[in-house]
Amino acid sequence: MDVNKTPSPFRVMCREIYKDKLAFCSLIVFFTVLIGVFIWAALLDTSEVMRQHLLRGNLPPSREFWLGTDSTGRDTFNLLILGTRNSFIIALIVASITSVIGIVVGLAAGYYGGHVDNVVMRLIDFMTMIPTLMFIITMTVLLPNTIRNFGLILTVFGWTGMARSIRMVSLRQGVMDYVKASKTLGSRNIVIMFREVLPNILSFTIVNLTLSIATTMGIETGLTFLGFGPPPTMPTLGLAVANAANPLAMQLRPWLWLPAALVILVMVLCINYVGQAIGRAADARRRRV
Amino acid sequence: MWKMILRRVLILIPQLFALSIIIFVMAHFMPGDALTGLIDPTISPEDIEIMREQLGLNRPLYVRYFDWVTSMLQGDFGRSFHHQRPVVDVIGERLPNTVRLSLVATIFTYLIAIPMGVIAGRYREKIADRAIINYTFFAIAIPLIVFALLNVYLFGFTLRWFPIQGSVDPRLATGTFAYHISRLQHLILPALTMALLGTAGIVNILRSEIIDNENSDYVTTVRAKGAPRRIVYNRHIFRNASLPLVAGFGFALVNLLSGTAVIERIFSFPGMGNLFVQSINGRDFSTANTLIMMYGIIGVVGTMLSDIFMIVADPRIRVK
Amino acid sequence: MSDVLLALRDLRTSFRIQGKYYAAVDGINLDVYENEVLALVGESGSGKSATALTITKLHNENYTRMEGEVLFDDKELLGLTENQLNKVRGRRIGMIFQDPLSALNPLIRIGAQIEESLTFHTDLDASGRKARALELLEAVGMVNPALTYRQLPHQLSGGMRQRVVIAIAIACKPSLLIADEPTTALDVTIQAQILDLLRDLQKETKASIILITHDLGVVAEMADRVAVMYAGQIVELAPAMELFTNPQHPYTRSLLASIPSADKQDDHLHVIQGVVPPLQHLPREGCRFSLRTPWVPENIHELEPTYHEISPGHLVLCTCYKKFTFDGEEAV
Repeated sequence: MDVNKTPSPFRVMCREIYKDKLAFCSLIVFFTVLIGVFIWAALLDTSEVMRQHLLRGNLPPSREFWLGTDSTGRDTFNLLILGTRNSFIIALIVASITSVIGIVVGLAAGYYGGHVDNVVMRLIDFMTMIPTLMFIITMTVLLPNTIRNFGLILTVFGWTGMARSIRMVSLRQGVMDYVKASKTLGSRNIVIMFREVLPNILSFTIVNLTLSIATTMGIETGLTFLGFGPPPTMPTLGLAVANAANPLAMQLRPWLWLPAALVILVMVLCINYVGQAIGRAADARRRRV
Repeated sequence: MWKMILRRVLILIPQLFALSIIIFVMAHFMPGDALTGLIDPTISPEDIEIMREQLGLNRPLYVRYFDWVTSMLQGDFGRSFHHQRPVVDVIGERLPNTVRLSLVATIFTYLIAIPMGVIAGRYREKIADRAIINYTFFAIAIPLIVFALLNVYLFGFTLRWFPIQGSVDPRLATGTFAYHISRLQHLILPALTMALLGTAGIVNILRSEIIDNENSDYVTTVRAKGAPRRIVYNRHIFRNASLPLVAGFGFALVNLLSGTAVIERIFSFPGMGNLFVQSINGRDFSTANTLIMMYGIIGVVGTMLSDIFMIVADPRIRVK
Repeated sequence: MSDVLLALRDLRTSFRIQGKYYAAVDGINLDVYENEVLALVGESGSGKSATALTITKLHNENYTRMEGEVLFDDKELLGLTENQLNKVRGRRIGMIFQDPLSALNPLIRIGAQIEESLTFHTDLDASGRKARALELLEAVGMVNPALTYRQLPHQLSGGMRQRVVIAIAIACKPSLLIADEPTTALDVTIQAQILDLLRDLQKETKASIILITHDLGVVAEMADRVAVMYAGQIVELAPAMELFTNPQHPYTRSLLASIPSADKQDDHLHVIQGVVPPLQHLPREGCRFSLRTPWVPENIHELEPTYHEISPGHLVLCTCYKKFTFDGEEAV
């Protein structure tokens, strides 16, 4: 009977996104913004945009400078374009690496259980108890301020969430019959983990990855705002938002920071709407009701 | 039960040990040491070297670790290089502000979260529930920094509903009625900002717990006894559904505290989070390290306390 | 025959799946007499438990539709308000559930859970309730009622918890007990004890029992009459002896043929092909069991199956019973 045939996870995912008008629109908005930003940014020269023109500082929006200029005379709009691109790339890379670490650690802990699980969980628990943000901040001033170090620090403290969720689902999968069946057939653990368990929790993993891109963008912004972001030669959304740290600029020149804040807001909401739809695809129980 | 609580308390020891080791190692890589706090151009480098010897700074690492822990246990956290005063005094000034802020934020969080979670869980798929789900969705998605900035801009600058600088109006005399009112006014916006985002997780947990419990067998048993809806919810469902909240309390606390760094910075609020950012920026590491240690201890102990509450509250855990 | 205690008329219970309602109980008519044990038999998914929960309207009304009539003591239940129903639940109709591990509130002491129904339905004061609770615990065979009274559910074994659930169900001396797979989750030796307990209690209280089970062994031991359910319908209804000696409906015969037995000469066990189709894909026309007997010619089924009375009190749905043969058997 073909009623028992289940569609592939990818098909389900597409269907869920397509069916959910909001998620579908979010996806379109997200990619439109992103593609636009990438094309525009390709036409810009970072060092040119970052060059200071002290004579034209603090200009209001005009035909020449769509979003005005900052206190050192840089074109805010161009900074925003570059910032959006850079922030997204940073978030994507950090989120991907933390996800891979999280998947490997979480799968191992959930699948093997016992001592492995115990040690991993103790570590993850400990890392959720300690003030991670403070450690991140301290690390950023101890290590040379390069973008690689910045990404590294975020990764070191960022993998626990993913590992915890993956462990939880793979713990459930570990006892399921198909894993037992595969074990009795003599498959090696590594093979079972990555060839059998991972595909089954794939959509769940993708949801987590999407959401963690959004979270990472938020963390980057916060850190840059506090003054502990990527090197100041690299424009990011956080750098634009950090203009608001100056109360005068915040109040009188909202064009410096408000657009960046809104870009973050829109991107993060779009990512979450899409993530939610994928999540529904991953969880058959929620799909039904 | 007592055995389990004791075991849980004992786990604290390796955790605190690990925390102190991490901070000690980090401090080792930081420029400056206990003497940097005394920098004074009139003292020659030779004298400093002698003082280093006297203070034992040239002794092996493990001895210094031991000394460091001992002095901390005696309440000596070193001197702040930036403020030229003992770190304890510097932090002591800011502590009450952060405690007040966190306390008010926590109260707001639960005041918002519990009714919302209960309404959403009980009147599932009704309009109220839909609205609450959308709210939690936003609250989880939006980064604290963006939300805080928008709030400051909208309610602080544009509408002028709340003061947005500092912890109290500096023109008012300490201790007067107006002084306390001003202090409260300064707390509302930052605390509400944190609470509005912080509630989302709790609302979601509460909602799904209520739904899970509603569909569980024991609730059917209770309904089959002929229990009125009020008793089904108040006596049975809410009690079981609130357990995970207790378990998550420690985590919520850590979350709240790490939020204070960003919030205090945006509101120029003279608390510990702001102090931490300032001391890192000013390379005042003795203060920064003490703050990390404090936050770390609060996190570790807070989690332990919620685990112990859980052991007391949920009889099922006790059998294991 | 004695009086009818409970009458189900055209009972239909539908669950919402992806926005549409599908009937899990699809037009059931059934009488339960006073002082009898009626067994409701069928595979998982046949709608037995859904029927049981519908009688006192215990389904979650957010995604369940309950239609038809439930006449209990000549009073219609489905039209009652929640408050009116609460006067019947627990007091006149007691319920016993399948999984004693999850049927008790884990945070509340056994004594308090038993006393709860007493507070709803009796005027007993605190000491009176406690005395009654201890009495009930003793009645369901607890060795040390005073100790159990103070214990929490997780401190008891599965069998003991099921006794507590039974104590709760009989606390207000109901005239009808609905036992939904009361022994399925228990070990075999415990199963026998619980069944003995139920039978003794039934003899003592003269309450009627609707016993829901998929275990024909339990039916043979307990039931006066049996209703066999398939896909939301009753396909055969007969006195227990009659059903075992003279089963008619193909489904009943398949069920009986699938019991392993020591004195059967067959060297292979009969297996019913396939499973009960999921609700959304259930055919709503014709004989619903025909899907699982593809070797049987189409024309022996009725297009709109009706009940046929074979002997007094023995009803069969659809005409296919007349010509049904197992796969490989010769038509008689």
